[in-house]
Formats: sequence, C-alpha cells, structure tokens
Amino acid sequence: MSSLRNALPRRAHKERAQPQSRKKFGLLEKHKDYVIRAKAYHKKEESIRRLKEKAAFRNPDEFYFKMIKTKTVDGVHRLEGEANKYTQEELMLMKTQDIGYVLQKLQSERNKIEKLTTMLHSLDNNPSSRHVYFAEDREEAKEIKSQSGRKDALPDFDDIPDHIKRKTAASYRELEGRKKRVQELEKLYMDMSLHKELQKKGRKRKLREEEIVCPTSKAVYKWRSERKR
Amino acid sequence: MRPPRGRGGGGGFRGGRGDGGGRGRGGGRGGGGGRGGGSAMRGRGGGRGGGRGGGRGRGGGGMKGGSKVVVEPHRHEGVFIAKGKEDALVTKNLVAGEAVYNEKRISVQNEDGTKVEYRIWNPFRSKLAAAVLGGVDNIWIKPGARVLYLGAASGTTVSHVSDIVGPNGVVYAVEFSHRSGRDLVNMAKKRTNVIPIIEDARHPAKYRMLVGMVDVIFSDVAQPDQARILALNASYFLKAGGHFVISIKANCIDSTVPAEAVFQSEVKKLQQEQFKPFEQVTLEPFERDHACVVGGYRMPKKQKA
Repeated sequence: MSSLRNALPRRAHKERAQPQSRKKFGLLEKHKDYVIRAKAYHKKEESIRRLKEKAAFRNPDEFYFKMIKTKTVDGVHRLEGEANKYTQEELMLMKTQDIGYVLQKLQSERNKIEKLTTMLHSLDNNPSSRHVYFAEDREEAKEIKSQSGRKDALPDFDDIPDHIKRKTAASYRELEGRKKRVQELEKLYMDMSLHKELQKKGRKRKLREEEIVCPTSKAVYKWRSERKR
Repeated sequence: MRPPRGRGGGGGFRGGRGDGGGRGRGGGRGGGGGRGGGSAMRGRGGGRGGGRGGGRGRGGGGMKGGSKVVVEPHRHEGVFIAKGKEDALVTKNLVAGEAVYNEKRISVQNEDGTKVEYRIWNPFRSKLAAAVLGGVDNIWIKPGARVLYLGAASGTTVSHVSDIVGPNGVVYAVEFSHRSGRDLVNMAKKRTNVIPIIEDARHPAKYRMLVGMVDVIFSDVAQPDQARILALNASYFLKAGGHFVISIKANCIDSTVPAEAVFQSEVKKLQQEQFKPFEQVTLEPFERDHACVVGGYRMPKKQKA
C-alpha cells in the first residue's frame, strides 16, 4: 500500500521561513530547534535545583583546610601567596649555592683566559715596555739613536694566508669576550655576596654620603664590631 | 568532508600567504623551510670544501695539519713565531714529542715532508721570553752558544734556552733549591745539552770543575746581591767580550724606592764590575716592576779614529 502511495507524485512542501513582515523577530524557530533549547533549559534548571538542595542540607560544622589556605579574590579562589614558602635558613642556603655556581664559572673562565694568554702574545702590537739604551759618550748615543730608528721589531708577515689571519683574529676575539665575561661575573659575584652578608645577623648600617672615605656610586655598609670568642 | 580537505590543500600550496586554515598554513611553512634548509646546506658544504682545497694546495703535503699554522723565524736566531689559532713565540723542540711543563706544542710539516715540532714559549713564566717580546735588541743566546744560567728553578726557561742553542750549544743550569732542582734534573735527562748544577750561585768555586768558559750568562736569581753574584760567576766563567742578560725584580732588591731607581742603582753596580750594559727593557705587560738588562763583559776598548 504504502509503496503505491510513494510511487505517486506528491506536492513538495517547502519549509516556511520567517515572513518578511516578522523579520525583526529573528529566525523562525522550528520544533527541532525548540527541542535543543528546551533540553538546555531543563539541564540548567536541574543543576540549580541540585545546588539549592545541597545548600539546604549543608552541614554547618563542615571544615576543609582549603577554606583557610585559599581566599576569593573577585569571586575567584586563589591559593595563599608563596612568599614565605622557604625559611630564612633555606633561603640563605640557596643563596650560597647560587654564589658558589657563579664563583665556579668565574674560576673556569679565568683558567680559560690564562690558557689563551699563554698562546696569544699580541706580536703585532708594539710592546708597552720601556726600552733604555746605555751609551758612554755623545757620539755613541747618536749612533744608537740612528740605529734604533730603522730597526723593525718583527719579520714581515705579509704572506700569511687569509684563513690563518682569520683564525688568529678569532682567537683574539675569544680572549676579549672572555675577559669581558669575567668582569661581569666578578661584578655579579660581588653583588651577590654583599646581599648575602647583609642578610646575615650582625648590626650594620648604611653609611651616609659624607662618611664614605673613598667615593663610590654604590652603597657602603659598616658593621658594628662584635667580640667573637 | 570534501570542503576542508580542499581548503587544506589550497593552504599548503599557497604556502606563506597566511590566509589558509591552521593546518594548511603549517604544511606550507614546513615545506618552505625544508626546501630552504636544503639549499643552505648545499651552499655551506660547497664553501667548506673550497677552503680545505686551498689549504691543501699551500701545504703541499696533503696533510690536514700542514696549513693550520705558519711558523717564521724571529729576529733573534733560534726563536720563531707561530701564527694560526695561536699568535705566539715558539722554539724548535729539541726532544720532539715531549712537553716540559705542559706547554702547547705545534707540529709543522716542511715541503720535503719532514715534521718539525715547536713549543710555545710562555712570557708569563719566562722573563727571557718577556724580554724578547718587550723588544730587546739582542739576547746573545743563539744556536751553538755556551750559556751559564743562574737561577734555573724548575727548568722551564732553561728548556727553551736549550732549544735555542741547539745540539751544538750547551747550557749550564745552576739552581740552589733541591726541590725545584729535581724537576731541573729530570728535564736535563732528556736534553743532552743541559748540565744541571744544584749549588749556590754565590759560590762558583764549588762548581768550577763542571763549567767551562761560556759566551753568555743569564741571571734570574732575584737576590739583593744579584749583581755581585753575576760578577763572581762572570769572573770565573765568562769570556772577555762575552755577554750577560740579567733580570731584575725591583721588589727583591729594595721595595721602598721606586722601581726605576732600583734599576738605575743595579746598572751602576754592574758598571763597577767591568760590565758594560747596552740596553734595558721593562717586562711590562707580563711582569710588574721587572727589568731586563743586557750588556757585555770586559769589552775591548774602541779604537779612536
């Protein structure tokens, strides 16, 4: 029966859209749209109901430690600050370890510089040393003077290939870089150890500007002398 | 299913235009990067190959180490300059394959395929090297010379002096301290031209049987009476017309007066002992308040024209 009905041509029903006159109300809702909307509505309703129930049956003596450890900031739970996570002793130990690491790096850098300076003698630069000649009389002095002028210090190195020149230059660059690094590390080490000393026990005070003997831009501290047994 | 695939493909094809989907863009970038990396690698490889080829051409022998360093003779005979990764004063190693104080060694191949080894001469440990770098005119220590070395210590500088004088020369190394003398003796075992003497340089009579006449005396004793020590030894062993090289540490003689004054007074003392100083250099960047004085002993009188 039904197959026969299906075989017959039927009029195609087009889904009705929102009429032009009612356009201002937005999309025309169909049943399947309504089902989705209704399901969402009831879900929310149900969860509100459950929460209300829980609130009604709440135990007034209920306690969790999170209630102390956290607080709400603008309605958001937040753990209490971790500023006091470590004790003073622990902080001191960590600082010592940091300083130790910096010192270790400083020493290794110094060793590398020493190794480099043994093989980089700045041969092309004029020596910074003072050269004195001894003469017995005026004529000898003149002779020495005329000789020393035309004497060149080193043989010519014009025929050095470029790749070797580059290597030498790179070595000197490395040395310069390491020297700079050592300077920075030394500064850092000084700062860190000053901080550590300041955190230790012992009475100290910052010197006023007029009290400082040799002027520096940095702060100077003075410790009260303390008898040690 | 179809539309997203098409979009992804399009993005991949367009590459870096950035209007495709996330997936498409990623694909495009990956492809581009891969291609770029490939070309860059090829370029770098070519450059490196070229450089090595050039080096081999110059070295001649085909050894890779041949062209890494260039060694040329210094103004002073027996001293060389090495240029490469290092820029250093070197001496030709008398005992190839051995370092004396853990110094760096440089091996260079000649045109005929023979290998020569050089040792780096550290001016921070040797006052003679510091003087050479300071630009002293003549150190008088040259191949074949007989040298009396006072204050040899562990024999670091002595080993370089023995390199310079070579197998035909001889170095008499005098050191008082037994402890550093032990290292000196060990060094001398390997170097046949070094004669170690563990004695006080103040009493040259004690070792007069060991030492013959010498051409040059090098003195690095750092004692307040070092001029007298030098004069004593010179009177025993230094030939007339021979030369001396003395290193003066101002602090060891008088730490209360400025260094220049100390050097002057020492030169005065030397002049009273038949020495004729020629020149004096400070060892400035390497040692502080040190000077090296070079001169002659019992020099023949100049003929007046």
